[in-house]
This record gives sequence, structure tokens and C-alpha cells, in this order.
Amino acid sequence: MTKNNGSKQTEQLISLRDLHKDYHTAAGPFPALKGIDLSVDRGEFLTVIGKSGAGKSTMINVITGIDSPTSGEIVIDGAPIHAMTEDQVARWRGDNMGVVFQFFQLLPSLNLIENITLAMDFRNSYPLKERKERALHLLEQVGIAEHAYKTPSKISGGQQQRVAIARALANDPQLILADEPTGNLDSRTAAGILDLFEQLVDQGKTLLLVTHDEDIASRATRTITIANGRIVNGHVDGN
Amino acid sequence: MEIHARWTKILKDMWNNRSRSMLVILSIAVGVAAVGMITNGSRILKRDLYGAHLAGNPSQLNIYVSPFQEELVTAVEGAREVEHAEPRRTVGALVYDQKNWEDIRLTVIPDFDDIPVNQLTLEAGSPTPSIREVLLERQSAAGLGVEVGDEIVVEMSDERRYALTVSGIVHDLYNSPYAISGEASGFIKMETLEWLGETPYYTYMQVSVSENQTDKEYVLATGEMIRDRIIEPAGYRVSRTDIPGYGSEPGEHWAQKPINGFLLILQIMSVMAIFLSGGLVINTVTAILTQQIRQIGIMRSIGAVRSQITQMYVVNILVFAILGLILAIPLGLLGAWGIGLLAATFMNFNLGPIDISPGLLILQVVLAIVMPVAAALYPIMAGTEISIYDAVYQHGLMSKNAEKHGLINELLHKLRRLSAPILLSLRNTFRNKTRLAFTMVTLTLAGAMFISVFSTRTSLTHQISEVARYVNYDAAISTPGGVNKYTAEREALRIPGIEIAEGWALGSATVIHSDGVEGTDIELVGLPYDAATIDPDMIEGRWLTQDDDWQVVVNEDLLDEESEIHVGGDLILKIDGMERTYQVVGVTSKHLSGERAYISYSTFGKITGRQNEADTIRVRADAGKISNASTQDELADLLEERFENAQLSTSSADTQHAIFSYFTSAFDIILLILIIMAAILAIVGSLGLTGTMGINVLERTREIGVLRAVGASTNAVRQVVVTEGVVVGLISWLLGAILSAPTGFVLGSAVVNALFQTDLAYKYSFIGLGIWLVIIILIGVLASLAPARNAVLLTVREVLDYE
Ligand SMILES: Nc1ncnc2c1ncn2[C@@H]1O[C@H](COP(=O)(O)OP(=O)(O)OP(=O)(O)O)[C@@H](O)[C@H]1O
Ligand SMILES: [Mg+2]
Repeated sequence: MTKNNGSKQTEQLISLRDLHKDYHTAAGPFPALKGIDLSVDRGEFLTVIGKSGAGKSTMINVITGIDSPTSGEIVIDGAPIHAMTEDQVARWRGDNMGVVFQFFQLLPSLNLIENITLAMDFRNSYPLKERKERALHLLEQVGIAEHAYKTPSKISGGQQQRVAIARALANDPQLILADEPTGNLDSRTAAGILDLFEQLVDQGKTLLLVTHDEDIASRATRTITIANGRIVNGHVDGN
Repeated sequence: MEIHARWTKILKDMWNNRSRSMLVILSIAVGVAAVGMITNGSRILKRDLYGAHLAGNPSQLNIYVSPFQEELVTAVEGAREVEHAEPRRTVGALVYDQKNWEDIRLTVIPDFDDIPVNQLTLEAGSPTPSIREVLLERQSAAGLGVEVGDEIVVEMSDERRYALTVSGIVHDLYNSPYAISGEASGFIKMETLEWLGETPYYTYMQVSVSENQTDKEYVLATGEMIRDRIIEPAGYRVSRTDIPGYGSEPGEHWAQKPINGFLLILQIMSVMAIFLSGGLVINTVTAILTQQIRQIGIMRSIGAVRSQITQMYVVNILVFAILGLILAIPLGLLGAWGIGLLAATFMNFNLGPIDISPGLLILQVVLAIVMPVAAALYPIMAGTEISIYDAVYQHGLMSKNAEKHGLINELLHKLRRLSAPILLSLRNTFRNKTRLAFTMVTLTLAGAMFISVFSTRTSLTHQISEVARYVNYDAAISTPGGVNKYTAEREALRIPGIEIAEGWALGSATVIHSDGVEGTDIELVGLPYDAATIDPDMIEGRWLTQDDDWQVVVNEDLLDEESEIHVGGDLILKIDGMERTYQVVGVTSKHLSGERAYISYSTFGKITGRQNEADTIRVRADAGKISNASTQDELADLLEERFENAQLSTSSADTQHAIFSYFTSAFDIILLILIIMAAILAIVGSLGLTGTMGINVLERTREIGVLRAVGASTNAVRQVVVTEGVVVGLISWLLGAILSAPTGFVLGSAVVNALFQTDLAYKYSFIGLGIWLVIIILIGVLASLAPARNAVLLTVREVLDYE
């Protein structure tokens, strides 16, 4: 396993260099990212803000390897994501990265525990016997252990997002990426989710979070703004 | 026990979509069971019927000889080429079955302790009848309702009645059974025949050759050798030698050709069934995967690689396949048992164990596993090939394609006046063209097959009515040995109600090739050129005219056998040892009579020396049309009585309807089996439609939600779905109707060819087309009811969750 706790590595975890992404549209290529340079250190809580259509989702999808860049480099913990095949990225992501989507994206037929153990199953990361226990532990951590045997459709959206976060933690990754994880939730529920993220940062995880909400951004250690496919302010320190 | 979460997902998905899983399992099961049923049924039939037939040491040759005694057979058996020769005599009589007089054939066997060929199997009683005793064939005994020890009353051709004790019941595989021929069968000693008032002599022998028993040429040549070197030098006349059966090879069961032909047709249909179920599997698996594309994307976003996903769905299919197989094997066995039972009852043989051969088991396993996996491989590959980004975010992409079916949409635009729900249904129908195509192909094939079965039936009926043109009488009575034609005709015309009476003369002849070699033995018919009891269908040339003397009309059966014969050409016939040349002036259609030549009555008298004799008198009550069955029966009774009183004949009279009723019963069993096959195809088709409708409803969850939101009533939603099902059904009906024209011809030809070795007079069945229309509408409604119910039950929450 390539997992680590960051003690003996360099400070830098993510490094994006001159990242471009063009979408193919009927009207020709549409540049969504126009040269992104960014470096994120271990343990950072980074938020990405910007107007709708600025390119935030595009950037996060490219970093997670869910989409591939048109050009440029993505190196995470020394791994050249941009140069890997989709399967290699999938494996790498499974081991090192937790992804949280706006629409939770849980598997409807599985109960909450199984949704989490599935992630361990694909990476074969914990012994079969321990997986369930670990899943329960993670559900406890996100505060919904009492619903462990329900299917996603039987719990609320905020609860589903908690499960999605627990699932992102299944293989104990060092990095969590989330695209508008509270975008679909009311503000009180969103606040709870945000608390969870802060706990993760306290545990030493690195967090990259896309949001529309400047309030959320204010709780991050750093916030970058994207406009028109470019980072417009380099370093804005949080409070 | 802990189980990997990915298998939990597969199992739960299967369970959550029980009806669709069932659909895939049933699709696999039906196809594999159909193959099992036909393959195993065929094997069991061949094993039990042909096996038992071979075990009784079948003869390969019949030689029909002028009256002879047993010594002639001893001489024949002396030939090195002959293994066995058994003398036989079969006489027709009537037997009383407590209600009616039925036909019975009594066959004389010289020594019941030693039957070397075509052996009988004792079922009850004693195997050796004494004088005044008879062994009855088991189907006849059952049909007549008699047991060992009972007496039967038989009436011989001289009108005398005798009581025979049934001393035993035997099983005979070498003659057409009671169920098919409608004629009872019994076996007696020569002494009994004498006691019955007949002169003791034999008329034919059953011969088995010592070597090359399956070589047709050799067997026939041996027959000629026996005739030329043994029988005829001894002063007997051979009228005919032939290989027993309907076109059978030497030593084959008498119906082996037609049976095998029919089994081949069933085999082809079962292969069709497996292809159709393969199509169903592709359809459903594609739908499952389409629906799971986002989930596939999610799984990959949490670390699954392609091979893991592929593996998951392949295992999913394997589980379906194994469940399908578990259903298919007993279903197939049950079907095989049904086919075996039907055949055993009909063909009068004993059904052995209903087992399954290792070969078939392997075939079924391979089919059940390989067919679905092969069918699903492409959709699985395509499903996992999609990039994670497209899978998670662009799931809707698929439906974008649906918008560009320009032509059909344009057409729909023109149909604007249709009501909104119907318009919506029509648009939905064409939404997913691949899926629609698969469903369409399945239903179309099922429909074409179904209509084809009916067309086959109509064609057979038509064929019979065509043949009826040659048996264009109400009743006919044979006058064995010949009577004066004019006396007999006058006698018949004295019966009130009879308008036409015609005496015909019958004889046999042998075709002589231009190189002097003997060819086919044929029946020679002498009849008036203007005969009213025949309405020949001329394929070529013309019918006989008043001026014809040495002109003949042949039937197409003879043309098939003798390629030298053509209209305008010469035909050399050997009649009573005399060769003469005739001119062929016309060819009639086939009419199930075997090879025939028609010649003027007066010429027939001249060449046979039997002037003014008639062998059969054919009568009609009405020159304009054939009478109904009951009138025919009355006429037959009157004819029998009249001819008996006038001492012209003691035979029983035939009626046209009786001749054809046997054919009809034989057809019915064949059509029954064909209809069962068509029903299987229809079931596969309706499974396909149900699946498609279910998938369509699922994919349209959101749209249905919107419909509900804008106030569509439960009925309106149901109507949208059901209309779609019916529209698909109707389109497939139309395509099936077109396709059924050629497939009906192929199926009908195959059946007729298998049964009669003759060409089909094809008639399309519009009734079948109509029945299928009703069925397809029912299928359309039934197949969409369950999906429609689901659509109606969808709650707003589910619709929103669907995303
Ligand atoms: N698949 C695609 N094909 C073509 N253009 C796309 C595609 N996805 C995004 N875009 C375009 O790329 C630009 C960036 O989109 P992106 O989704 O990254 O914006 P965003 O910042 O996440 O916006 P939002 O806040 O609305 O989520 C937009 O102009 C968008 O229209
Ligand atoms: Mg976005």
C-alpha cells in the first residue's frame, strides 16, 4: 500500500502545472481551463470558489482523474495522474483519494455499510472480516451509525452526504476532494457537513472543496477563485 | 459468513429487479428448454421406435407374386443372397366393434413359432393362435375394446360371418397402426383362413437379404434377381417388388423419412427459439447496463477497475444462466416426455426411460452459459468502456441520440391530429431503436412462424382438396376380379339418386427405358376419356380425348421417377409381358396415388384382354357437385347392398370423405406439435415485449413524473404505456405478415415433403393472420400492463430520486 501519513514526505501534496482543458462542442473546442498552476500542501483545507461556469468542476474532475486534461501536468504525492491510464488512476484514486459528489452518488441497492465496504472491496484494502467493522466505525464518525442497515433512499439528503463522506474515507486516503458537497443541502445541514470536513482536516487530511458559498470558504485555510478558466487570486489567507 | 460487497450488490440488484431478472432467466430457460425438448424428444423417439423396429429384424423387400405356396419361399431362401423369405397373405374383412363394422386386415403367418423377419412382440395371451383364433395388434385390440379370450366377429368378402377367439395380443411395428390407418389388424394361421372360406395360398413375400442390407440398389437388384431366376421360371408372375415404407431406405421404419423430416423441422424451430432468446438477453442486459451506467461510473470513482466491473456483470449473467439452466433441464425433459408420449401413442411404440444423454446435457449447459454470456458481452464491454466522466455526469447523453430520428419524428408530426397520449406513445416506441429492433425481430419471427403453421394447415387442406379432384366421386365400390362394366354401371344407376356411374379398369405395368432396362412399376388406369369422377389438374399437355388410343396421360409422380418421360415423347410399357409404345400427351398433378398412367378404357381392354371389364365402379348423386358426408355414406350402403344382391361384388364401398378423414387426423397431430412450437416462440416474443416495456417505463420515469405533475390521470398514464405495447405489437404483426408469406411456403413445403415426398400446393392462411392479430394485440396489452402499473404507482419522490 502506498498510504502514508505525510511525515517523511515533502510538504507539497498536489501540484498542477499549466493545466488546460478543452471541451469538444458542436461549435468547436471550448476552453474550460486555460492554464491552471496550483500547489497544495499536506493538511491544507483549500476551497475553490467562482461563478457558475468558471471551471471549478472541470478542475476538480481533472484532479480526481475522473476527466482528463487536454494538456498540463497533475502530480499528486509524486504520482503523475495526467500520464496514467484510466484503470491506473482508478486504483490510485481508490487508495489515496476520497471523492464526494454534489448528488451523493450512493449505490441505491446497497445499505450504508455495504456502500462503504464496496470501496474497500474494489481495492482489497482491509481484510474481509474487518471491513464491516470499519464501515460501522466510519458511520459512527459521521454520526449516522443507527441507520447503518438502511438503503440510501430511506435517509435524508444530509445523511446521504455523510455516508458519501464516510465512503470517501473508506480506504483511509490522505486527500479528500468534494464538488459542492453542500450544494444540495439546506444551510443547517450544510453546516453539519462542514463541521465534519473540519474534523477531517484536524485529523491531518488534505481537503479540496469546491463551493459557491463564500461563508464556507471563509472557514478554509486557503481559498482560490476561478474565473473564466483561470485562477484569479493566487493566495488568500483564511482567518 | 462475510461476502464481498460487489457480489452483494449484484445479488441485491437481481433481487430488487426480480421481474426483470425473471425475464432474463425465463428467456434463457425457454430457448434452452426448447432445444432440450426437441433434441431429447427426437433421440428418445429414434431410440425407442427405430430401436424396437430394428430389434424385430425388419425385412428389406416385398415381392408381390401370383398365388403361391410355401415351397416357393423355400426356393427363394435357397439363394445365397437371401437371408430370409417369409410368405404372407393379407385379406381385408370387416370386424364388428359392438357399434359399427370396421375394416380389419387379417394377415396369414405360416409359423408363429418362427417368425424370422418383422417379428411381433407378444403383449398378452399365447403367441401361437390355433385354428379359429386370431392374434390382434394391440392398438386394434384397444380400439375394438377386446381382450384375450374375447371373441370378435368378422365378415368376409362373401358376406359370411365368423367368430374368432382372440388368443393373444401382439405389438406390430411393421405396419401402419390403427390410429393412423383406421384399419384393425390381426394375424391368423393358414388353416383359419381356409376355415374363413378362402383358398389357401400366399400373395407376397417379405425378404431380407444376406448382405448390403441398407443398400437400396443392391436390395432392388436382388429382388429382380429373385424374380427372374427363381419365381418367374417356376411359373409365377411377379406384379411388383418394393421397399416397404413411405420412401424409406431398406430396413428403415416405414415412416422413417417423414418422421425424420418432421423432426428436422422442429430442430430448426428450436434453433430459432435459442436465437430469439439470445436476442432477448442482449436486450435486457443492454437495458440493465444502460440503467447502471452512472453506478458503474461511481464504482470506478471509488477505485474499481474495468475488469472488476466486467467481472461483476459477467457473474451476474452467469447467475441468470445457471438459474435458467436449472429451469430449462426439467422443462426440456418434460417437453421431451410430452413429444415422446404423443409420438408413442400415435406411432404405436413403447416409450423407454425419459433420460437425458450426456451429450445433450453438455449442449444445454453450453447453450445456457455461452449463449447469454456471448449475448451480454458486447453490452457489458460497451457499458464499461464509457469514461467515468461521461458515466457520472453525462448519463443523459443516450437520450440525446433519441432526438435525431428525423424521419419517424417527421412522420409523427404529420400525425399531429392524434391525441397527445397516443402521440407520446408513438414517439416513445421509436425512442430506443436497437431495443425496438430486437423486440420487433422476436415478435416478427414468432408471428411469421405462427402464421406459417396455419398456412401449412391451409395448404395441406388445399392439397387434399386438390387430391380430391382425382377422387371426384361420392362412393366407389371395387369389383375384384372384374365384372362387366355395363352391367355394373346399369345396376348402380338403378339406385335412386345416383346420376353418374362409371366403371374403371385397373392394372399394373412396368416402364421400359429406351435402352430396354426395366424401370418403375406403375398403376395403369383405363377410364372413359370424358370420365366425370375425375377432374384432373393438368400441369402440362392435355387430358385424354375421344380419339386417343395409344395416347396416355401420366402423373407428375411418374415424371419424378422417370426423367426420360416428357409430353410429346414416347413411353414404353410392359403389360402382361408385352411391350408397347405409347405417346405421352399430358401430365397431371400429383395426387398421392403413386406413379400412374391413364389410358382410354377401350385400349386398356385391348391390351389386357379384359374387354368390357371394370374393377371399380365410381358413382355420384349429383353431376354438379360432390354430396355431403352423410349422403355419401347412404350411397355407399345402397351400393354395397345392390351389388351384393346382383352378385357383382361383396366389397364394402369407399366414400370420398372417409378416404380423407385419415389424412386429416395425421395432419392434426403434426399441426398440434407445430402450434406448440409456434406458441413457444410467441411466449419468447411476449417475454421480449414485456421486458422492453418495463425498460422503457423505467427510462421514462422522469417523463411520466412530469406527465403526472401536469395532471395526467392514472388512466392516461396507463394508456400511454399500453398504447406503446400495442403499437409495437401491430408493427411486428405487419412485418410478420410480410415475412410469413415466404416462411409459410418453406415450412409447408418442408412438412409436405417430409410426409408425402411431394411438392406443396401453397395456400396462405388469412385466418392464421387474423388469429395472430388478436393474439399480438393481447400480448401487447398484457405485456404492458405490469409496466403500466409500475408507471402509475411511481411517486413523485421516486421520480425525483431517479435523477
Ligand atoms: N461536458 C461539457 N461539454 C462542453 N462544455 C462543458 C462541459 N462541461 C462543462 N462545460 C463548460 O465548461 C465551463 C466550465 O464548466 P464547469 O462545470 O467546470 O463550471 P463550474 O464552475 O463548475 O460551474 P457551476 O458552479 O455551475 O458548477 C462552462 O462554461 C461549461 O458550460
Ligand atoms: Mg460545478
